Amino acid sequence: MPDFSILTEYFPVYLEGFLNTILVSVIALIGSFVLGTIIAVFRITTIKPLQWFGTAYVEFIRNIPLLIIVWFFFYGLHTFGARMDGFQAGTLGLTVYTSAFIAEAIRAGILSVPKGQMEAARSSGMTYIQSMLHVILPQAIKLVIPPLSNQFINLIKNSSVLTVISGLDLMYFSDKVNGDSYATVDTYIFTGMFYLILTIPMSYGSHVLERRLAKSS
Amino acid sequence: MITFHEVDKFFGDFQVLTGINLHVESGEVVVVLGPSGSGKSTMLRCINRLEETSSGQLTVNGVRVDERKTDLNKLRRNIGMVFQHFNLYPHKKVIDNITLAPIKALGVSKAEAHQTAMHYLEKVGIADKAQAYPSQLSGGQQQRVAIARGLAMKPQIMLFDEPTSALDPEMVGEVLDVMKALALEGMTMVVVTHEMGFAREVADRVVFMDQGKIVEEAPPEQFFSDPKEERAKLFLSRLLNH
Repeated sequence: MPDFSILTEYFPVYLEGFLNTILVSVIALIGSFVLGTIIAVFRITTIKPLQWFGTAYVEFIRNIPLLIIVWFFFYGLHTFGARMDGFQAGTLGLTVYTSAFIAEAIRAGILSVPKGQMEAARSSGMTYIQSMLHVILPQAIKLVIPPLSNQFINLIKNSSVLTVISGLDLMYFSDKVNGDSYATVDTYIFTGMFYLILTIPMSYGSHVLERRLAKSS
Repeated sequence: MITFHEVDKFFGDFQVLTGINLHVESGEVVVVLGPSGSGKSTMLRCINRLEETSSGQLTVNGVRVDERKTDLNKLRRNIGMVFQHFNLYPHKKVIDNITLAPIKALGVSKAEAHQTAMHYLEKVGIADKAQAYPSQLSGGQQQRVAIARGLAMKPQIMLFDEPTSALDPEMVGEVLDVMKALALEGMTMVVVTHEMGFAREVADRVVFMDQGKIVEEAPPEQFFSDPKEERAKLFLSRLLNH
């Protein structure tokens, strides 16, 4: 049995980290979804420079460790005079990193929408962007809910990287609890529990959503 | 209204269309016949530039379709298209399938788009399905929705790409009836089809294609009773002897 006095004694500390982790996750989730969708559309357009940019972005970002990206935004940008605190740099790094994976998921979804859908939309005089927004993306996103929710769960867990740049997240505060209590195992058992509070509903929610959408179509 | 002048089209090295010359007058119904792979659909799809021509000139309403600077969206608002596989938007209700382009591409108000959509749904005989999703409709009903969707943009030209080929035989009639009514109202129509009865009854002119060329062009009564070209004779004999 873990020592629950750790949880009760340090609850306000955990809670502050927990709330910050929620905040980082929500911002990065929305940000990476929007950014990832844009990159996905870049990759499938017929405009070569956009295609090239999209591919380079995904291949580059996806193939380096998250930690390096976060360090880049925290330390790297200082050299250029942009000062961000750990929370800001971490959120930005997490957004950029996750967006590369989201882009790949959404791109696969777009490609699995039948070609005739775009043809019907374009032949009725809508622009490429209107056709994407109103016809293709709503269908594509339905198809990629499972891979997207996996990415969002990864995002929540990956937010623990903020601790290395003093990002004030759950992991950062857990380190503080550990430093004070010396009850390492117990401390991180509760930390894990807090992460589960976020990830399990996420995973469950995606199943429910997936089933509901499957029924409606 | 539509003029092809010496139009060629290549897919890579393969020539799909060769020296197409065709003129369609306003209010005319032109039915394009020919064996599979003869380039009928490709020719049709050039008219609204779903396919790009490789050389030659293609003019619709005085506008050069083949030129880069042409405002494609503006051109397409005036050309309705009906596809073999309907291509309705499965995530939208019937009514929203029809109002989407008028609202987004023409900028009409929601109320007006709704009213127009209902008008055309009544016209194709399925106003009661306005709130249904496409998957809840039969093939024939879906194709009628697709026709209403095309008409809701109030185009001057309607293109039909094998509109009955994906339908169960018993549903072909209801779609052809709608198309007939449209032809009688004076809509300019280019129809790629295998429905010989429709061609005979409704077409002002039949265009017969083979291997990417227009082989014969004639009024339907003449084409069906006395085709001039060997290839057309063969095609008709194969069709009619079954």
